[in-house]
Amino acid sequence: MTALTDAPTTRVRLTVGTQAALITLLVGAICLALEPVAPWLVKWPAAWVLPATDWVGSILTTVLTTMKPVARGFSALMAYPMDWANFVLNGTPWPLVIGIVTAVGWYLGGLPMAALGFLGLSFVLASGYWSESMNTLALVAVSVPLALLVGGAIGVLANEFPRIKNALQAVLDIMQTVPTFAYLTPLLLLFGFGPVVGLIASAIYAAPPMARNVLLGLERVESEVKEAAVMAGGTRLQQLFQVEIPSASTQIMVGVNQCLMAALSMVIIAAVIGGFNDIGWEVLLTMRKAQFGEALIAGMVIVVFAMVIDRMSGALATERKRYDTRVVWGLLGFAVIFTVAFWTRLPVPSDLTLLDPVSDALDNGLTEFTRSNGAALDAFKNNAMFYVLLPLRIGLDQAVLPFTWGFAWTTNMSLGLFLAGAAIGAVLAWRGNVTGGLMVLIGFGMLETGISNLPWPFVLTGAAALGWVAGGPRLAIMAAGLLSTILISGLWDRALLSLYLSGAAVFACAVVGGLIGLLSAISPLAWKIVRPICDMLQTIPLFVFLIPVLMVFQIGEFSAFLAICAYAIVPMIRYTRHGLVNTPEEMMEAAIASGATQFQIMRDVKAPYAAPTILLGLNQTILYAFAMLVIAALIGTTGLGQSIYLALGKADIGLGISAGAAMAILALVADRLVQGFAEERRKALGL
Amino acid sequence: MTDANTPAIACQDLWQVFGPGAEKALTDALARSGNDADAASKILRETGYVPAVQDANFDVKEGELFVIMGLSGSGKSTLIRCISQLLDGTGGQIRIHGEDIMTASKQRLIELRRKKLGMVFQHFGLFPHMTVLDNVAYPLRVQGVSRKERLKKAAEVIELVGLEGREDRYPRELSGGQRQRVGIARSLVADCEVWFLDEPFSALDPLIRRQLQDEFLEIQAKLKTTIVFITHDINEALKLADRIAIMRDGKIVQIGTPTDIVLNPVDDYVREFSKDVAKGQHARVASVMHQGTEGVGPDDPGLRTDMTLDAALAHCMELYEPVPVRDKEGNLVGMVNPADLAAALQVEEA
Repeated sequence: MTALTDAPTTRVRLTVGTQAALITLLVGAICLALEPVAPWLVKWPAAWVLPATDWVGSILTTVLTTMKPVARGFSALMAYPMDWANFVLNGTPWPLVIGIVTAVGWYLGGLPMAALGFLGLSFVLASGYWSESMNTLALVAVSVPLALLVGGAIGVLANEFPRIKNALQAVLDIMQTVPTFAYLTPLLLLFGFGPVVGLIASAIYAAPPMARNVLLGLERVESEVKEAAVMAGGTRLQQLFQVEIPSASTQIMVGVNQCLMAALSMVIIAAVIGGFNDIGWEVLLTMRKAQFGEALIAGMVIVVFAMVIDRMSGALATERKRYDTRVVWGLLGFAVIFTVAFWTRLPVPSDLTLLDPVSDALDNGLTEFTRSNGAALDAFKNNAMFYVLLPLRIGLDQAVLPFTWGFAWTTNMSLGLFLAGAAIGAVLAWRGNVTGGLMVLIGFGMLETGISNLPWPFVLTGAAALGWVAGGPRLAIMAAGLLSTILISGLWDRALLSLYLSGAAVFACAVVGGLIGLLSAISPLAWKIVRPICDMLQTIPLFVFLIPVLMVFQIGEFSAFLAICAYAIVPMIRYTRHGLVNTPEEMMEAAIASGATQFQIMRDVKAPYAAPTILLGLNQTILYAFAMLVIAALIGTTGLGQSIYLALGKADIGLGISAGAAMAILALVADRLVQGFAEERRKALGL
Repeated sequence: MTDANTPAIACQDLWQVFGPGAEKALTDALARSGNDADAASKILRETGYVPAVQDANFDVKEGELFVIMGLSGSGKSTLIRCISQLLDGTGGQIRIHGEDIMTASKQRLIELRRKKLGMVFQHFGLFPHMTVLDNVAYPLRVQGVSRKERLKKAAEVIELVGLEGREDRYPRELSGGQRQRVGIARSLVADCEVWFLDEPFSALDPLIRRQLQDEFLEIQAKLKTTIVFITHDINEALKLADRIAIMRDGKIVQIGTPTDIVLNPVDDYVREFSKDVAKGQHARVASVMHQGTEGVGPDDPGLRTDMTLDAALAHCMELYEPVPVRDKEGNLVGMVNPADLAAALQVEEA
């Protein structure tokens, strides 16, 4: 990073960054120049592709088929708790369920939490999606204990046996980057169609956060507390269960919270395989039928559940006041009396249509809105597509057409573009920033070519160069090596498409999110407004993001782009603000005492100090964007996400797993590169 | 196994080396250096190991209050963790009442800790999820003592450390001084015979520290346990100790009584410590007394062998001739030149 933003010096020095940029530029230029004589330098020839996807498919199919009887047995076994949970949740009269949730809310967080529980569930009741919601909850209710048990056990074992800890952490890292849909295909083969797949998938997806937090919590128990337990003469089991685990309870509760949210999110995503009448399926169905009013209401139901579960389990992780238990009993008593008194007159929840007028009104309003603003919306969408997204994807040379831009792209224009790039680069280089100049030139080249048409040697060299600058030769080899596996397995084109869309979204998030974060850091008022929105966006399960963008912009890449941005922008905002706000007071005072203005403090003190934190935010944003990219395949994206989704439909394990692995590789490489830069910055600041 | 002559704790050639494969590295280093500890440490350091405790040799007598003193990083905390077997020593022997605990089984160690050993920690090490009463009773809980009995015993110890009335508080609701009282009570609840205290008062502010030191001495007078006490504060060491071991960079550089340490420091490092000490308050007249009474002056200000130098000097402010010194019984045992008294109090130039 230092190298990229090297302070101006009059003498031209070839730093690592400059060399890396120069090599990358040369490789790119040579590939493009030689394209007419050697097209294989740009496009990896189909003849060179190894049928890795098929191999993966046949190997996995064999393995999974042998495991199938066991899995089916397990599946049959899991049907019991599932049926039972379903029976309990659906069989309990709704006033009792609402009463219990309200009482639990009171017990955990007093009046506000009780109100949240009561109003939230009342909304669910009024929406008419009560029984679908209970079906979803039944899945969560069975998968979460499973995930807690497995995750907790993994966390404890990792703590007990340091030797397996590193391996385990790597596995957890990878599990976090493998897209959710990719789990589903092999599970489908193993367990067959049905709710059990959703159950297992959500348990698998929800266990890692629990394991991580249990391990973290146990590691963070003060060493003297552990030693005190040893010196008291406790056996290892006594130390663990009487001292260490209870001492780590706060962190473990954070794990429970994350586990619950992950399980809920995955249960809803798993609805795409169908076969279970739950709320996620309802959203999908109404979305497909373009009944957006209903889809929105169903989405709201999911959001309500997410909020209630999140806030209530979050209260477990904070030190809390004890609320009067008499109120709890009073609430429960009231619910029982209410149920008994109105037993014969309780409406069947599914017949409730209180919110139907609302959804109708929403539908009509939407139709009206799109009709009257259709032109403006289309113009907005088309401008964004034609002038930003499309050129990024296929390059100016192909995106500029008389149809879109009003004129055709000519060779002279290409020349002009390169000249302009060279001029800007030369100015930067002349002022001492050679690396910056080279980067500008590379950027202009990429703009001309388009991300999906980039020559493969250029991408590999570029990744290796970034790796070299960020973390040395090992990272460079890792980045290039991992990406090569995508190249030779024939998923390269789709990977570049995914890279383009997530890249565009990450870039937009970085700019907009960074600005919002900056604003929130400067103005407490802005943060007061932004913060609940961020909390909200982070609570909403991925799936629900699709509804509003689809309503307004229909199926297509632009909608996917917006959905990704909406989800991935949050960490950028949070980390930027956090980094800027948490500059040590002493440094600020030193700057003020030196007579720096507000702007100078921001530029010279706060921003450099916050850089590592902001980079971590960017890292999170990248991972979020990849996660959402796959979900967004539901509403029309090309690339790996689409492949994973298609593989799910065709139960094509080879494609599903390979594409999933390719996504994971992209995410992993991006993650390591950004982490490398952040680490380097932290070291430079002596943190 | 124990008789009057067996030391409560005996450390022999004790080493604690950190690093992968430390045991082999230590054996190799000792072999290469011909069993010379300093040379072996040098070899270990050069090969990337950390010899945190080097060749420690000392005995702690039954009922003795043995203080280990040194700056941070000198290895004193490591040493006490070796003796209490929170760390497996890398080489050497530790005997507690004659029993080699380095080779003791896990089961035996648990038993020892339940019956014989108690430990107090610098940052208290209290269990955050337990009340004061439950914290104190925990060592009895792991032994399977019934709840009623262990709470009764815990209440007794809580009274001993003056925390009665706070049994149901949680550690986070207590001040630092109160927390350490809980730590002390917990370490005493199982009637330990050997008591380890790892900088117990260092995290407290000076007034509370002095108060707890005094109470600690009272408790010790009552219980008469064998104590290993770690501190970085020379004044605390001099105030509490029967004997002091001074550590530097993993090595014990001097072991002696407080007077020895103050008056006869073995090297500049120890001298540097005693510089800060008001010597007159710790050294006794005996340490500067001459045998015989030849040339003693006419005045007798009534000096005793066990008087501190400060007190003695106060008695002979106006005197220049040697004065007689008597022991406790009043027998004449020697004489002191007042000039020597004053000279002994001079801060030595480094």
